[in-house]
Amino acid sequence: MTKTTLAGNVQLYGFWRIMSKPDDKQLQMILEDMVVARTQAGRLWNLQRQGQVGTIAPIDGHEAAIVGAVHALEPESDWVLPQYREPLGLRRYGPEVLDAFMLYNLGHPAGGHIPDPIKVAPSQISLAASIPHAVGLAWGMSLKDEPGVVLVFFGDGASSEGDFYEAGNLAGVLKAPVIFFCVNNQWAISTPTHLQTAADSFASKAEAFGIPGVTVDGNDPAAVYEAVFEARKRATTGKGPTLIEATVYRLGAHTTADDPTRYVPSDDLSAAQEKDPVHMLTKELTDRNLWSDSTQKKIEATALERMDEAFEKAKTTPLSPDSLMNHCFVSDTPRQLRQRSFLMDAGDTS
Amino acid sequence: MPFEFRLPDIGEGLEDAEIVSWYVSPGDVVERDQSLLEVLTDKASSELPSPVAGKVIKLAGQEGDRIKVGEILIEIEELNATPPKENPSYESEEIEKHAPEENLSNFNENAGFISVTPKVKASPATRKLARELAVDLASVSGTGPSGRITNDDVRLASTSNEKRNETLPSSSDNKGSSSLLELSGLGYMEPGEHEIKGVRGVIAKNMSSAWAEIPHIHSLDEIDASLLIDFRNRLKKVDRQGASNITPLSIVAAATVRALKKYPMMNGHVEGNPAEKIIIPTSVNLGIAVASNSGLLVPVINEANSIDIFQLAEKIAEIVELARDQKIAAKQMQGATFTITNYGSLGGRWALPIISLGQAGILGIGKIEERPVALDGKVEARPTLPIVLGADHRLIDGDVAEAFKNSIMDDLQEPLNLLVTE
Amino acid sequence: MNNKVSELSMLEAINETLHSEMARDERVVVLGEDVGRNGGVFRATEGLIEKFGESRVVDTPISEAAIAGSAVGLAMAGLVPVAEMQFLGFSYQAMHQIAGQIARLRYRTQSRFEPQITIRAPFGGGVRTPELHSDSLEAQFANIPGLKIAMPSTAADAKGLLTSAIRDPDPVLFLEPLRGYRGIRDLVPDEEHIVPLGQANLIKTGDDVVIISWSYQVELSRRVAESFEEEGISVAVLDLRSIVPLDIEALIEIVSHCGRAVVVQEAPETGGFASEIIATINDECFWSLEAPVVRVSGFDVPYPVGMLENLYVPDETRIRSAVLKTMENG
Repeated sequence: MTKTTLAGNVQLYGFWRIMSKPDDKQLQMILEDMVVARTQAGRLWNLQRQGQVGTIAPIDGHEAAIVGAVHALEPESDWVLPQYREPLGLRRYGPEVLDAFMLYNLGHPAGGHIPDPIKVAPSQISLAASIPHAVGLAWGMSLKDEPGVVLVFFGDGASSEGDFYEAGNLAGVLKAPVIFFCVNNQWAISTPTHLQTAADSFASKAEAFGIPGVTVDGNDPAAVYEAVFEARKRATTGKGPTLIEATVYRLGAHTTADDPTRYVPSDDLSAAQEKDPVHMLTKELTDRNLWSDSTQKKIEATALERMDEAFEKAKTTPLSPDSLMNHCFVSDTPRQLRQRSFLMDAGDTS
Repeated sequence: MPFEFRLPDIGEGLEDAEIVSWYVSPGDVVERDQSLLEVLTDKASSELPSPVAGKVIKLAGQEGDRIKVGEILIEIEELNATPPKENPSYESEEIEKHAPEENLSNFNENAGFISVTPKVKASPATRKLARELAVDLASVSGTGPSGRITNDDVRLASTSNEKRNETLPSSSDNKGSSSLLELSGLGYMEPGEHEIKGVRGVIAKNMSSAWAEIPHIHSLDEIDASLLIDFRNRLKKVDRQGASNITPLSIVAAATVRALKKYPMMNGHVEGNPAEKIIIPTSVNLGIAVASNSGLLVPVINEANSIDIFQLAEKIAEIVELARDQKIAAKQMQGATFTITNYGSLGGRWALPIISLGQAGILGIGKIEERPVALDGKVEARPTLPIVLGADHRLIDGDVAEAFKNSIMDDLQEPLNLLVTE
Repeated sequence: MNNKVSELSMLEAINETLHSEMARDERVVVLGEDVGRNGGVFRATEGLIEKFGESRVVDTPISEAAIAGSAVGLAMAGLVPVAEMQFLGFSYQAMHQIAGQIARLRYRTQSRFEPQITIRAPFGGGVRTPELHSDSLEAQFANIPGLKIAMPSTAADAKGLLTSAIRDPDPVLFLEPLRGYRGIRDLVPDEEHIVPLGQANLIKTGDDVVIISWSYQVELSRRVAESFEEEGISVAVLDLRSIVPLDIEALIEIVSHCGRAVVVQEAPETGGFASEIIATINDECFWSLEAPVVRVSGFDVPYPVGMLENLYVPDETRIRSAVLKTMENG
């Protein structure tokens, strides 16, 4: 498999300058986003255990891969299509992402609406279903001569779905400006990767699509950044899609409904915890005097406040009985109208 | 009021969990998100973090206990002053779930739930027709396939009901006789005991009281209705609003109102049992007895004394239709000072009607039919109208009764009197 | 207003509409298998790639899921994809993208994205196709909220409904009867012609019984209805034109008037869309019914091989019997 290559130069793109690799300032921003993600994920887990939100997929262990990737993107032009573990890591795209995410966790329909112009799609529960979406979106953007790329997140498990192969194949043929970003966290609930595929790696499946496949250490945000930067350059210069496999380890459970102690060997977990990406980058930047304990504490506190604020907002967002009927079609069919007034009458009696 | 932390459903469909071990004791001060205890569920063991900061007051279970989802685990006195918030559920509770029956009645606007005699074979359209014509399907023999009742069968059954009330049009424009029939057929009730309720109950009560309190006298007579009929035919063609509503009943009503103006005692009534007072009202409020599906209703035309025969006819037509369809308001059935009952529309000739409580008289009219009449020593066939006057003998003596009745009879036999305005 | 009309086959009407809509709106993109160079296996997309270019008329790999799924992405990008499923029976391969993604895009994102997506697919029997090429699946799609379904029975309606479908900001499944591609010819307006979705067409009035149908069966129903004129039975024909949204008002009006109805579908009997029609008649016109509503449909077996096809697909004889049965019943 090809190793990541460093482009070396600064790439000028439109009005924005994206560095080919992150400088110190960017690394600090990356670490901040990672710490925020980790902290907020902890609070979110607790909220589930307190019965306040629905099922949560913790981000622990995936922070570097997610945050590193989005920092190599340009939010003004580049789309991110998440699976379901990523939203807390998309802080770079704006506070609207967290606001919508908390509504989503609460089970409020407004959680599906991340407002224009934020180029983030809502979570996708159906594994691999967004991959063809990403292809169509990227293709559409290039048809319209709109600059930018689409990065779609998915896991090792999702790569076994038919949509992954069909979409990858189509993207290769179309040379769509899409980045297929597979976060291989070694587990699809309880299925380890060696039971998921017999291929050498997930990146190797790119061969079937006729596109480059790249493996990268997902715990190293700078490496991830550079890989995405390269892929972005390829896409935006008409060279088409790339498949990136970022290797990480799922440090927590699959979701709040899962008990990993049933199947994760404790030795593996301990070894992975040694390589916790948040700790590693914290140590690195602290050693270089780019980070401190007090900085960390402040960021953690703000992160929790921000989540509380988003959750409060979510809890007080109104919900009328006939919200059930909204946004199916632009306007109701006759039968839907009748169903809607039934709901409104029923709501009145409550 | 301490914060109650109840066991949530943390595992997508849990019913209960076992308390494995407590990490806190009563009196401990805990921070928000601090682990309080470990629970074991079917899926996993989990630590539960505190939703609030405060002091532990009470642990609601011991290690080893099984607690159901929704039951209290621990009570914590919150440290800050804000009032305790409910654990918001992440499911929207606002939308109420309704039983399927309610769904049906809301969605199916046209689905009526009218019970029809079972084991009768008839299509929905035929059943609806039968209801409209007040035909009892159980009494109709079906000529359709497999003995099914057809629309024609129903119509046939309806016209034979009608034949009994041809010449005197009743208070309703179409087949009025049918309006007296119960849903399940005239005079029909299932064998067994039935509760008396609704309109039937009210009627039963009122009839009893009226009969018990009022000593009735009845005066019976018969008039030559030729001029009445002629008057009706000609008046109908007059270019005047209400002309089309002129019926023999409305003409009788006009004559009655005139007579009531002349003999105010007939418009009055006795109050108290035993009798205490006589009330003589200022206006004539004329009640017209109408048969409806739920029984006899008596809507009232107020101040009948201040309108002419055309207005009277119009009003009669209006309230009679409302009453027949049971759309009349209760208010409009109160305050009558005198009542007219037209059993002629049922095919009757002679009857002794019961006076309503709060009134002193009632006029009954029968069906106009041809009878031999003696005129100048010769016998001729003439249309005749039988009338019966009922009067409260506590207030009305024979002289008043006869004079009142004669006034009406005179006006009916010389109807031009009714066009005289006073 | 130019009232000129031309006689076209349904296929020609569809092709003409695709041409005019692509010319009118540069956001329209056609994608599918063999739609470009080949002009479509039935020539429905003939001439498009020559006129509008490779970027707007795309020959895709054989990937129904990716065709449907990328249509979602194209809509997210603000384009107007008109995707073809080569045969409706193969839409099963794309089912989860159609049902789980296309039909829900607006609902899931609360209208952040406009799913202005049309999926065209031929279906229907009488042309001796191999397996899965003729299956009528409309009832299965009708039970998916968020998806509209248009099923023209004439060339003019094909133009009118396809125009509406492409312009509709909601997703529309546009189903074309194989037998009708060349077998249906009628006068089609030359200029822009719009038939709104949700508007049925009473193509023949009548007083005794109404035949309710859609797609190719409408033509057969019309012939049956006319044959009854001499026999003194007055038969109306209601062409639903779109089954979602359903024109409930038109249904109520004609069924209440006649009191008798026959519903014709090619799909298998159990769970077919005729069931939905009859349930709606029950809700709305029960008290007008003189007789039970009669269904004419395919049988509860998979779509059969060529030699058995004629037994399976409803024909005029079976429609006629159904009419007589409902007349006898009353």
